[in-house]
Amino acid sequence: MTLATLTRPWAAMSYGFLDASAKREMRRKIIKAIAVPGCQMPYASREVPIARGWGTGGLQVTLTLIKPASVVKVIDQGADDSVNAASIRRFLSRVSGAAETWDTLEATILQSRHRIPEERLRDDQVLVLQVPNPEPLRPVQPNMSIARQMHADADYGRLWLVLYEQMVRSGRIVQGAAYPSLVNGRHVMTPSPIPRWDVPKLHMAHHLTLLSAGREKRLYAVPPFTRVEPLVFSDVPYQVEDHAGLTCHRSGLSGVFMNEIPQDSGGSVFEASDSNLGIKAIRQAEGEATKIGPMWYENGELRP
Amino acid sequence: MAYVATRGGERAIEQAERLYRQEMGQITADRVAGLRHALPLLVDRVMGEASLYDPDLAALALAQSGGDLYEAVLLLRAWRTTQPRIAIAAPVRLEELFTHRRISAAFKDIPGGQILGPTLDYAHRLLATEVLEGTPFTPPPVDPAAHPAPAHQPSLAAWQKAEGLVADRPSAPIAPDDIPDVTREPLLFPAARAHTLQSLARADTGGVLALGYAAMRGYGNAHPTVNELRLAEAEVMVRHPSGASFSAGRVKVSQAEVTSKGKSGLLELGFCATFGWNEVKVIAGATLDLNAPGAEKGSAVEEEFVLYHTEPVEASGFCIHFKLPHYVTFQSSLDALRGAKAAQPATEEVPA
Repeated sequence: MTLATLTRPWAAMSYGFLDASAKREMRRKIIKAIAVPGCQMPYASREVPIARGWGTGGLQVTLTLIKPASVVKVIDQGADDSVNAASIRRFLSRVSGAAETWDTLEATILQSRHRIPEERLRDDQVLVLQVPNPEPLRPVQPNMSIARQMHADADYGRLWLVLYEQMVRSGRIVQGAAYPSLVNGRHVMTPSPIPRWDVPKLHMAHHLTLLSAGREKRLYAVPPFTRVEPLVFSDVPYQVEDHAGLTCHRSGLSGVFMNEIPQDSGGSVFEASDSNLGIKAIRQAEGEATKIGPMWYENGELRP
Repeated sequence: MAYVATRGGERAIEQAERLYRQEMGQITADRVAGLRHALPLLVDRVMGEASLYDPDLAALALAQSGGDLYEAVLLLRAWRTTQPRIAIAAPVRLEELFTHRRISAAFKDIPGGQILGPTLDYAHRLLATEVLEGTPFTPPPVDPAAHPAPAHQPSLAAWQKAEGLVADRPSAPIAPDDIPDVTREPLLFPAARAHTLQSLARADTGGVLALGYAAMRGYGNAHPTVNELRLAEAEVMVRHPSGASFSAGRVKVSQAEVTSKGKSGLLELGFCATFGWNEVKVIAGATLDLNAPGAEKGSAVEEEFVLYHTEPVEASGFCIHFKLPHYVTFQSSLDALRGAKAAQPATEEVPA
């Protein structure tokens, strides 16, 4: 027996960067996360060649799922050409040979920071959300081991209290993004810092959503057709951002989540946050054959 | 507008990286070798935080990052991820270390003797400005002692245990493959002893110092006395598939054991060890280890607080991530803020 018979020829890295043992752990934790929707699963979280806090959790999930036939879309704040999204997308295709796309309809894996695209996702698509802080209880309990116990006990009273205090102090719930939501009637999760506009897109969705925090070493999932209910009081309805009436000054789109662009002359104009949807709308208006898929919102109203 | 460009993000990041690397110029094998030899303690520090012992790769990481230590550690950690785990070395025992330096502040003299070894502790910190004027600084040669110190030294704690001053930590035999490994498992609390020591070994030197110093100044419960501090080389003993045990080489290690009188009436020990020679880190780390038992949740010396917040790659990465655009979350907050503002006047009735 020689050493050569025990090993494979040397290669600078494994397919998809992560080695087999890392991927095996990820697959096991992903399956556990799907089995217990919204429950945070701790995982080892290997170091990857981008900095912690820059999407390493999402990246590890995507690297585990990716195959040469995959088509990946990566967005940051809704934009495909945002610098960090471009960097992650380039890394993914470099280590896997997967195809890149900007089009939500073409993608098989969508990795995103802080947004869910406006076109509906299908059951053959997987959404991977990058998560900075996986713990919805962090504002009321910074210690992770105590918070873990609180999840086990479904002890969420202090989250309701925070919302109630906001109403008392400000006249309404002022939680911005990352709105705490009850998954499958059991675990409260943070949907990652997506705007309130995007949270209902997770409810009874056709697609699988995996949420992964690399720095904090936790991943959790919203499987298809799972209830995701933002925490609200029965007499105070959930409020998404007041964007339904805004119009994108570049594409003419309305009824989508907008970026506000302050103007030198005072006031603001708005542009569609889902940047490729904006591009497709412009192309369509210019007579190009471009397909825009069914949307979650129609005329600013969430479609059931 | 170039920040989140409407188009052309790919070109922007490419050119931004070029701009950064241009400053450092060409990286050659000579430059890397030069760094390795000129900056051994920096190489040691980076190897410790990366938990990857390879002075050449560490020097390369320093050259590539231009000396940004967090970048260098990340480069090495990302490299480490890709490496297979071929074998698990035998435990390193204190009395088998090739000891270069070994001191104790607890006793004037100790079994085996105090060995000063290489140190700047008693040097006058004067800049050798003549170097800049063209006169090279040549360190005066060392006069070897007439009787060289023995390479191996007993452990002081072993003497203390024999004297009944220190309680032995409970330990159980464990198969090498079953030793918890913090690079392959998540760190959960209360942490496995192995995870605690591994996390301290990988911890950020500056972070451990900041928290350790806070404990020393009084934010902890225990005042440390340096029981034993060692700079040494450890033999890495691994087993060949044929069954033979052999040395795969030596690694530089530092370790510190600090002590204080515990509530039990015995001496308690805090311990920290790391790759490379890094005295500040192991003394501060051992002080934190000493202070952790029984510390209040959320206090600056509690295990979870210490280990989460001294992880160099996580801490630095999260800090710099705030440079990423956050305009979606900001827009969401702005919407809530404007909504609340619009709702205000109705409730703002000043009583007469």
